[in-house]
Amino acid sequence: MTPDLVYLATGAGLGALALWRLTTSSDPLRRVLALNVLAVGIAMILLAAAHGPGGADAVPQAFVLTGIVVLVAVTAALLALAETLGPRGD
Amino acid sequence: MTAVFDILLAIGILGCAAAALAVRERTAAIAAFMVAGLLVALSWVRLGAPDVALAEAAIGAGLTGALLLRSARRLGPVRPRSVGWPVLGSAAILSAALAATLAWAVASSRGISSYQSLVAERLSESGVTNPVTAVLLNFRAWDTLLEIAVLSVALMLVASVGTARIRFDRLGEMMLPCARIVVPLLVLVSGHLLWLGSSDPGGAFQAGAVLAGAGLVLVMSGHVPTAGRAVDIARVVGLSGLAIFVIAASAAQVLTGGFLQFPPDVAKAWIIAIEAGLTLSIAATLVLLFLGLSRHSRS
Repeated sequence: MTPDLVYLATGAGLGALALWRLTTSSDPLRRVLALNVLAVGIAMILLAAAHGPGGADAVPQAFVLTGIVVLVAVTAALLALAETLGPRGD
Repeated sequence: MTAVFDILLAIGILGCAAAALAVRERTAAIAAFMVAGLLVALSWVRLGAPDVALAEAAIGAGLTGALLLRSARRLGPVRPRSVGWPVLGSAAILSAALAATLAWAVASSRGISSYQSLVAERLSESGVTNPVTAVLLNFRAWDTLLEIAVLSVALMLVASVGTARIRFDRLGEMMLPCARIVVPLLVLVSGHLLWLGSSDPGGAFQAGAVLAGAGLVLVMSGHVPTAGRAVDIARVVGLSGLAIFVIAASAAQVLTGGFLQFPPDVAKAWIIAIEAGLTLSIAATLVLLFLGLSRHSRS
C-alpha cells in the first residue's frame, strides 16, 4: 500500500469528522475547530494527490501553504467575532 | 515497514482529530487538536512536502492552538445542548458519503497533473531552486500578494472588533532565563529558514511564524508593552508587508513591463528582499492577531 492512498483516506476521514461536527454543533469555538480540521483534511487530500513517483508537485504545495496562512487569519477573525458574541449553547 | 508506520500515523491523526471534535472539555479538545496538527505535519513529510509540514507545525498547530486556547478562556465552558439521534445520524451519513465521494474522485483521477514538468522546465528562470518558493513568489506571486492582503484585512478586522485586553498570569521564575535563550534562538532559526527558503524547505511564512513565536515569548515575559507606541509600530510593520509587495510588483511592472514579473537575472535578490519584508510583516501580524488589540480595547 502506498503512502498516498493511506493519507488520501486519512484526509477524507478528517473531512468527514469535521463536516459532521460542523453541522451538529452550535458552539462557536467547536465550529472554528471543526473548520480547521476540515481545512487540514482537504490539504491532506491535495498533498496526497500531488505525491507521485517523481516527488511532490510544487503547485498544490504552494496552494496548501497559502491555505494554511489564510486559515489562521480567518480563525483569528472568527474567534474575535465569536468573543464579542459571547458563549452559546452547544 | 514504512506502510505500517503510515497506517499507525493515520490512525493517530484520526484519533486525535476525533478527540478534538468530541471532547466537551475545551482545553483537552484543543490539546488534542494541536497533537493532531503535529502528527499531520509528520505525515506531510512522508508525502514529500517538508515546506508545508513546517508551516503546519508552526502555524496550523502552534499559533492556531494558542489562538483557540485564548478564546477558550474567554468563552467559558461548552453549554450542553441535546441534539436528537436522527439529526446526528443523518449528518454522519451525509458527511461520510461526501468525504468518500471526494476520496473516490481524487483516487480515480490520479496521474493527470501537468504542473510538475512545467515548474521543472522554468525553474532556472525563477531565480531560486526550491520549486515551492519559485511557485509562491514568482510563478504564482499573485496568489501570495492576495494572501498577504487577506492577512492585512484580518488584522484590521480584529483591531476594529477590539476584543478584551489579554492579561497574562504571572509566570514562574524560569520565564526570564528561558526567554533569554529561546528568543535569540528563534530569531536565528527564523533568519535561517528565510535564507534557506530559496534552495531548501523554508521560506517567509515559516520564518514569520517562528519569529511570531519569539514575539509572543517577549510579550508573555512582560518585556514588551501591549499598549501605546509599541503596538502602533507593530501595526505599521504588520501592514508594511502588503505595501512592500505592491511596491515591488509595480517596480517590476516599470522595469520589465509585466506585473510581478521580476527581471530574470536578479530575480533571486527580488525574491529574498520581498520575503525578508514579508517575514517581519507576517510575524507582527500573527502576534497582533493573537493579542487582538484595538485602540479602544476594553480592559
